[in-house]
Amino acid sequence: MNAATVPWIILFTPLIAAVVILFFGKYSKPFSAGVAIGAALICGFLSWWLFGQPDATVANSFSWLSLPGGFTIPIGVTVDHLSKVMLVVVNTIAPIVFIYSLGYMAHEEGYWRYFAGLSLFLFSMLGIVLADNFLMMFIFWELVGVSSYILIGHYYSKDSAADASKQAFLVNRIGDFGFMLGILTFWGLTGSVVFSEIFQKIPALETHGLYLAIACVLIFCGTVGKSAQLPLHVWLPNSMEGPTPVSSLLHAATMVAAGVYMLARFFPVLEHVPDARLVIAWVGGITCLAAGLMATQQNDIKRILAYSTISQLGYMVLGVGVAETWDVPMFHLFTHAFFKCLLFLCAGSVIVSMHHEQDIWKMGALKNKMPFTFLCTIAGTLALTGFGFGSFGFSGFYSKDLIILWALAKSPFLGWIAVLTAGLTAFYMFRLLIVVFLSIPRSEEAKKAHESPLIMVIPLILLALPAIGAGWPFIEHIFFKTTEPTDVPHIVHFALLAMFLGGAGLAWALYARAVKDPVFIPLFANRLYIDYLYTWIVKVFHDGLAWLAGWADRWIVDLFVAQIPSKLTWACGYVMRFLQIGNIQAYAFFFGAGVVGLIYLLIAR
Amino acid sequence: MTPTLAHYLIVSGVLFTIGLAGVMLRRNIIIIFMCLELMLNAANLSLVAFSRYNLSMEGMPNYNGQVLVFFIITVAAAEVAVGLAIIVALFRARQTTHVEDLDRMKF
Amino acid sequence: MSPLLALILLPIAGAVFGLAGFPARKAAITAAALNLVACVALLASYQFDQGGFQFLSSCPALPSLGISFTLGADGLSLGMLLLSTVVTLAAVCVARAPQNNVHWFYASLLFISAGAIGAFASVDAFFFYMFHELALIPTFLLIGIWGSGDRQAAAWKITVYLAFGSFVLLIGLIGLYLSMPVGARSFDMRAIAEHAQMGTLFAHDTVHSFSIFGFEYLSITHAQVVYLLLFLGFGVLVSLFPFHTWAPQAYASAPAPAAMLHAGVLKKFGLYGIIRLVTPIFPPHIASPFNTLLLVLLLGNILYVGLVTISQRKLDLMLGYSSVMHMGYIFLGLVAWNQIGLNGAAFMLIAHGLSIAALFALSGELRERTGTLDFGELGGLAKVVPTFGLLFGFAAMASIGLPGFANFAGELMVFFGAFSAGVPSRDSFFNNFQIATVIAVWGVVISAVYMLRAYRRIFMGPLVDRWKSLAEIAPLPKLCVAGLILLLLVVGFCPQLLLNLISPALIRP
Repeated sequence: MNAATVPWIILFTPLIAAVVILFFGKYSKPFSAGVAIGAALICGFLSWWLFGQPDATVANSFSWLSLPGGFTIPIGVTVDHLSKVMLVVVNTIAPIVFIYSLGYMAHEEGYWRYFAGLSLFLFSMLGIVLADNFLMMFIFWELVGVSSYILIGHYYSKDSAADASKQAFLVNRIGDFGFMLGILTFWGLTGSVVFSEIFQKIPALETHGLYLAIACVLIFCGTVGKSAQLPLHVWLPNSMEGPTPVSSLLHAATMVAAGVYMLARFFPVLEHVPDARLVIAWVGGITCLAAGLMATQQNDIKRILAYSTISQLGYMVLGVGVAETWDVPMFHLFTHAFFKCLLFLCAGSVIVSMHHEQDIWKMGALKNKMPFTFLCTIAGTLALTGFGFGSFGFSGFYSKDLIILWALAKSPFLGWIAVLTAGLTAFYMFRLLIVVFLSIPRSEEAKKAHESPLIMVIPLILLALPAIGAGWPFIEHIFFKTTEPTDVPHIVHFALLAMFLGGAGLAWALYARAVKDPVFIPLFANRLYIDYLYTWIVKVFHDGLAWLAGWADRWIVDLFVAQIPSKLTWACGYVMRFLQIGNIQAYAFFFGAGVVGLIYLLIAR
Repeated sequence: MTPTLAHYLIVSGVLFTIGLAGVMLRRNIIIIFMCLELMLNAANLSLVAFSRYNLSMEGMPNYNGQVLVFFIITVAAAEVAVGLAIIVALFRARQTTHVEDLDRMKF
Repeated sequence: MSPLLALILLPIAGAVFGLAGFPARKAAITAAALNLVACVALLASYQFDQGGFQFLSSCPALPSLGISFTLGADGLSLGMLLLSTVVTLAAVCVARAPQNNVHWFYASLLFISAGAIGAFASVDAFFFYMFHELALIPTFLLIGIWGSGDRQAAAWKITVYLAFGSFVLLIGLIGLYLSMPVGARSFDMRAIAEHAQMGTLFAHDTVHSFSIFGFEYLSITHAQVVYLLLFLGFGVLVSLFPFHTWAPQAYASAPAPAAMLHAGVLKKFGLYGIIRLVTPIFPPHIASPFNTLLLVLLLGNILYVGLVTISQRKLDLMLGYSSVMHMGYIFLGLVAWNQIGLNGAAFMLIAHGLSIAALFALSGELRERTGTLDFGELGGLAKVVPTFGLLFGFAAMASIGLPGFANFAGELMVFFGAFSAGVPSRDSFFNNFQIATVIAVWGVVISAVYMLRAYRRIFMGPLVDRWKSLAEIAPLPKLCVAGLILLLLVVGFCPQLLLNLISPALIRP
């Protein structure tokens, strides 16, 4: 076992597991689960082992496709610090979620389909992490898209799930459209798709500032799709139609963060393109605020968390736009992966004990019935809201505040947006916590709820530990080398604490005794009407255009290339047949006239 | 006055014209048929005349023309046999030999 | 006897045996299977290090016109032959014996196969053309006799259309023939390419000018006329926009195996012809004035036909339109006129042939079971026929170019080829080709829209009561479709396998 082969083993083990489950999984439930969990555990173990190894900078690739003209697309792995950290994140969370699924999916059908999908997802995700060139990343980028499609559509008989999976795939494809164009533009500029070769050539290309900026923004489109940034965020809340462990692993912890990972991987180029970073920062900042606002008025427990995920991803993207190194956004990705995964698994635990009821206004006072879930949710909430002051806090406190500080240093406006969003985060998370676990039971199910089985509780506890402590400086320094900006006013720390207390206090004041939501802000409850706008655009423009094209094809194009020529031929025949008058002497006359005409043409002229 | 090539050709032309007029104008198919034969024989006459007046160095007529005449006579005989058979069959089927009544071969 | 002749004669022998009274289905499957084995054996005995045309055999047919019955195969032809034999086997296995004239039905299928194989194995342009024409007759019969819906109109439409395209093509071929120097004229494709290299093709190029009232509105050289005739002639055969309306109607009416064979194999004749006959002989200065025109037409295929595909409400019509749309990508690779695009186009020929064959096989099976392919009437079928749904999902994903399937590698090469085509513009903004590439990449989104919509309507959502007792796909069709998908996956994971075969044949001076 050496550092050159282990990444390949890590990459392909889940694929083998997926194929095995595809062929043999339907015969035995424990078998499919066992294969998938085994593969994930192998990956987890090897990732940690690899993390202890020194960086392998040796080129480790082979040509996947090469043409005589010198065009080559390699498939290769990079094992640098960035990918090792990401491997650890993915492969630590994945086995935990897989094991949790044992409990969550115990009574569901399509068991093998579920685990095959999860293994396929793990394979694709690891491919993104390990990719050493844009095209390999694109390949796996699309593959995580399809595994997400499979998993969101797990309950395919439900119309909402079927629509959600389709929407997720299509919206991601729109992002991938930009991503592909970005890859092509970079290839046109540098003649290569391999990261290290592009990085070498970038300083020489600084005269092409505009092209570089366009290329970077096109690449960023991939992130907008995958990491659900505005304006392509609509699929992520709908993806909550999938099983909760899927939402937790794909749509909170790892897959949606792939966009941020890609930007981090791509950071050496971004450093040279301030214009593109400005765009990225603004998209991130606006997303984090808008999603935070939308989250305050959702009633579905998973959707609240989904909007929160979008908001947090907005923070990370903002971090890419403003920070000095990739460590800053990646640090938040790292902590967010643990606590958001934890929160989703807690939500899953609640949902199972509520018999698949997801409306928070049907829950309440679950704290005594589900003590472990309650405690873990508190840990996750405090981590997400960034509770802490001075030099101690939960994990989000360190990572999120770092991004906010950088944002303030680079662009005060975006910085204060981020601070405001921190307050919103505290508000909507405490709203969830209070309505679900405290206050009063609001339905029969809520009164009869009970703690989930051990196989679901243990993963919660396993995740709660990093959710609390992953940001502590001595842990952070194992993984990241972050720096703080120097010229930030000290008051911001107090402002953040005030935001936390204000948000939490407001939530307590509003919801502690509420039976149903006392606040109703249509703009936020209807998600800024963006979904309706898109539905309308798709219905009117896209479908309308398609209908028009279909109509034109049937009645205009076909008219010109088939109907008119056919009718014209028929008309010529119709005219010509009047010569066929049926009189033999007339035919003889035509014949004779023809002969005379020919003789005239041949001789007389 | 000895007849020259021109006299023969004039007769041949007159015969051909009579035949052509008959084919064009007459309605009875048997008459048309006979006029057709007349046109063939007009051609024969001019061929024989050409042969007779186109002597070689040794004073021999050009036999090519006469050979062609024999061919035409043979073909004409065969044609008559086939043609009359068709006409008889036609008459049996339609009880008429007038071309105006035989106009089914149009649209 | 030349091994390639055997490859052509085997399906004909199968057809003859079937007509002579042997069990038609068994004879057809045996012949197709033997042919596949023979083709694989041929592939194994091809000398890769030597390259070029091999297994050559020639017999003069009309020496005075330079026509001879020459068979031979290089890497590209072998790839197409493999595609033909694989799809033929799948088609005859999937075929459901009709009520009437069973032996003629199978014989027609085998004749299409023989025609396609003959075209791909011909080195002589005349026989190349003739074999394709030969295959059109059984296509006409299959659609007209055993089709469904408005089958006779569809049969007439496809036949007249293709005959028209072939006619344009024939004029182009004759024009090409006449532009060789007298005495050295030949229909042999190697000879034509050689003429082009030595500069004796179009050596005395003349300019045709057309003018009205002294105003010259068109000035075009003989070489350009030939180029246009060949490109458009082949284009009509491949349903280049706007000459595409025959395809969806014909495929919707055709019995499934006929649609598989035509869309999967026979239609590729036109593109194969462009690669084989047009790209090696026309220098860019002849071709480039028409680039914009051709780009507009092929973007019509991708964008406009893509939208038309979205608006379809029936699976069979949708698949027909989707196959028209995908032709646009292949044309893009060809018009790009460079190594990457050419390889991508050739790659997509084979990939698309396999994937559309799988899709038509599945839609045919579905129609056999339900009697309808209307999205409005179907729904939730994955519940009762999960294997069906799984296979259809795989085939649909292959067709929309998901990585891992061969179509993706082909599309990728096409995009890269097209993006680097045209005037090199590292310093200026996007040229025509790059704009076309941008639009073509949007086509990937369009194809995802219609495929996923179809999958959503047919297999997902609540199960419609009518289909509660729908039977699962039969073992033999399942095996065939799975085989096609497996091939797509193998080639998709290791595209180099196929590229090593085809790319040496695509090196252009």
